[in-house]
Amino acid sequence: MSQQQTTNCITLRGSAQIICEYLKFAINSVLFQRGLYPPETFKTEQQYGITLLMSEDPLIKSFLTNLLTQSEEWILNKKVTKLSLVIINVANKEVLECWDFNVQYEDGDVALSKEKNETVGSKELKKIQQEIREVMLQVAATISYLPLLDCRCSFDVLVHAKPHCDIPEKWAEAEPISIPNAQNVQLKTFSTSLHKMETVVSYKLAD
Amino acid sequence: MAKESDMSLFSDVLEPFRRVINTDPPKDKLSASSKLNFSESNQSLKEDFSNLLSNKRKSTLSSSELLTPEKRSRIEPSANTTTAPPSPWEAKRLKIDLIAAKAQITKLEARVNHQHTIRKEMQILFEEEKASLIDQHKRDERALSDMEERLQVIRKREQELKDEHSEALKEFQESKSKWEKDKADFQKQIADLKDKLLEANVSSKDQISEMKKDMDELLQALEGAQSEVEMLKKEVAKQTNRAEQCTSLRTQLEKQTFELQEVTNKLKELEYERDSYKDWQQQAKTAQKRLSNMAELEKEVIRLRASERCLRDAVCNKLLLEEQVHLLTTRVEALQPVQQELHEAKVKMASLESSLEEWKNAARAHGVDSARALSSVLESALSNQLTAVASHSEAQSQMAQLTEEIATVKYERDKVTAKLNDLQAVRKNQESLIHRLQKRLLLVTRERDSYRQQLDCYEKELTVTLCGESGAGSAALLSARVEQLEKALQGYRDLLAAHDQEAHAKTVEGLRAEASRWREEAETARRETSKLRAQRDQLQAHLERLAAPHRAAKVLHLTDNPAAAAHKEMQVDLEAAQEEIKRLKAALRDGGMAVCPEEMQQMKQQLENSRIKLKRMKEEFTSSAQEYRDVVYMLLGYKIDRTGHKNYRISNMYAESAEEYLTFTLCDDGIEMVHTEYSASLSELVELYLHHHRSIPVFLSALTMDLFTRTTMQQEVQ
Repeated sequence: MSQQQTTNCITLRGSAQIICEYLKFAINSVLFQRGLYPPETFKTEQQYGITLLMSEDPLIKSFLTNLLTQSEEWILNKKVTKLSLVIINVANKEVLECWDFNVQYEDGDVALSKEKNETVGSKELKKIQQEIREVMLQVAATISYLPLLDCRCSFDVLVHAKPHCDIPEKWAEAEPISIPNAQNVQLKTFSTSLHKMETVVSYKLAD
Repeated sequence: MAKESDMSLFSDVLEPFRRVINTDPPKDKLSASSKLNFSESNQSLKEDFSNLLSNKRKSTLSSSELLTPEKRSRIEPSANTTTAPPSPWEAKRLKIDLIAAKAQITKLEARVNHQHTIRKEMQILFEEEKASLIDQHKRDERALSDMEERLQVIRKREQELKDEHSEALKEFQESKSKWEKDKADFQKQIADLKDKLLEANVSSKDQISEMKKDMDELLQALEGAQSEVEMLKKEVAKQTNRAEQCTSLRTQLEKQTFELQEVTNKLKELEYERDSYKDWQQQAKTAQKRLSNMAELEKEVIRLRASERCLRDAVCNKLLLEEQVHLLTTRVEALQPVQQELHEAKVKMASLESSLEEWKNAARAHGVDSARALSSVLESALSNQLTAVASHSEAQSQMAQLTEEIATVKYERDKVTAKLNDLQAVRKNQESLIHRLQKRLLLVTRERDSYRQQLDCYEKELTVTLCGESGAGSAALLSARVEQLEKALQGYRDLLAAHDQEAHAKTVEGLRAEASRWREEAETARRETSKLRAQRDQLQAHLERLAAPHRAAKVLHLTDNPAAAAHKEMQVDLEAAQEEIKRLKAALRDGGMAVCPEEMQQMKQQLENSRIKLKRMKEEFTSSAQEYRDVVYMLLGYKIDRTGHKNYRISNMYAESAEEYLTFTLCDDGIEMVHTEYSASLSELVELYLHHHRSIPVFLSALTMDLFTRTTMQQEVQ
């Protein structure tokens, strides 16, 4: 009985880690799929039962590590509502695409939380990974309908935090972005029973 | 008797069980008591036995006849053997007794058996009872343990509460001690301040008294000094008097000396030289003595002057002291407001204490004991107010929203009604149109029917005419036709009449139907508007929901993100490119000098080299040309100049002037002499050598020879 409980118990920190891991893979996948960096700088990696491509660029790696460690802390403290991966045309700073990762906070398993004296969820890890796999496959499939990026592009990740959130070192406030004439596509959502991740891609509709 | 004993025995046997059942003693005790009782019962049983057998005591039966009948029977013969042979009566008696005893024995045995059974039953009963008691005991134990647990829980709780209580007490005491400490501190401060004030007062008083003393002393000193001054003045006056006396004495002396001189003169005059000299000597001696006195006087004057200076210094000191006194008085004046302030502070403190007390009272009146609680109450009140304000504003905004919605709904309703009116108008038009069309349709059908009838009629006529042409037949036919025509007319009339009514009814019905249809349509439109309104509200809510996080959220990003890096890189690239463009433009403007400095340098050097080479070659060329020309001139005696394209001018070495030259032109088929003034003068030579011999070198050498001979002739002539 106790064995069963320990295997199905997800703490808040564990849930945040799952979310951040998903973000890492999702961002890398988008960078590869959208061709922002040359394909030879990516390396395959097995995750969620599928093969994903991870960037080997040290700059991108360090950027993502910095971003995700801070984001994990924020998600843990429920300070983040949304993370946006923005693809920008470098020449004129125009926003071409925006991948919104909406984070919603859920209560988890209330009874188990009471018992454990901390907020925990009881969703099976296998099921969560199954859900994430489905989202990742959808991300890979978006290439079929997203417009071609035929200019020099770069990306940025904007964190939509709560207004009272402190700004740590190396971070700055950014301008909120908007895409004129945008088309939104909602991908599948997944939940760790503590956090719910909603992935939306909005792109500029071709004229 | 036996029966009675039986009953008592039974009751005796049962009694302990009853007691056991009723009292429910603990297990051990129960067993013990039961055992005890059993033994008791046994004893009583034994007693009964002995009572019963007491009759036989005198006979052979001993007291040990409690044993089983078999045993007794075994014992009996031995008893019999020990006694003397009995008499027949005795034997009979014994037999009777024996029989009676046997009967008794059997009875007793039966009773014993009965008792045994009773005992077994009792045992069974007892076992059951025991089991039930054990169960109960277990239950009791469980209940006891539960109760103990509960007791422990309660004790724990009690302990916790006690702890809490003690903590609260401690806290209370701490706060109390703190307050008391604060109070003591304050009191100490007050006492300190008081002490300080007193000290300040005392010190100021001391200072004042000291100053006064100082002043007194100074005044005394001043008086002393003044008296001294006066004394000194007197002395000075005396001294001046003395000095005056001295001067007067001197004048007197002078006078005397004058007189003496006069006297001496007189003496001289009178006694000539001797006496007068002596006198004069004496006089001089006295004068010298007086002069020494004079020096002493001067010394005294100096001393007096020094004392005067001392006095002046004393006066200065006095001034200083006066200044000090003034300073001290000012300080005292400065200290007085401090004292006043102290008083004021005291008063203020008292007022503050009273106000604090008032506050405390007010707080207590509101059921608040501590400042923290008061602040919390205030905070809660403030927060309530804030929430109220927030809710108020929210309500206002909601109201505004609702009013706006109402306006929009009204506008929509107006629109819908206008549309409805339009539609009704259209409907009326269409109704009239339908009506007209129906009418026309009816007319057309009637007409068609009439035509058909007529056609039938004509057919009939045709058949009739075909059948037989007779007057009567034609008349009948005509009448029939008239009839038919009349019928048709009637039909038309009927139709007209019916048509009017029918048409009216139809139109009315149609109109009604249409009206109901329109009504339905209006209803559906209304429904649709309500649905749309609901949808709009939903969308608005959604929009707000979407907009809300945007407004509420703070957008953050890492400062060194790839986009910024890429943009920076791009900027750098752009700047570099622009720089390069500028550089290239500048280079272009400068004539490409700065394209590649090394190459330029090389080229320049090469150019320089080639220039130098060219120059050298030119020099070489010119020198060689000159040399060649000189050689030609020296060897052939002609100076050849190239004047233009293919034109050559030659002047002879022996020509008399520079104007004597010949011009040749290079042609395709040789060289030709151009006519000049000089050539004209050489017509003979030209004729002979050019025209006759057609040889320019001969002509030229002839010319040379001619000119040479001419010049040599001249020289010879000379």
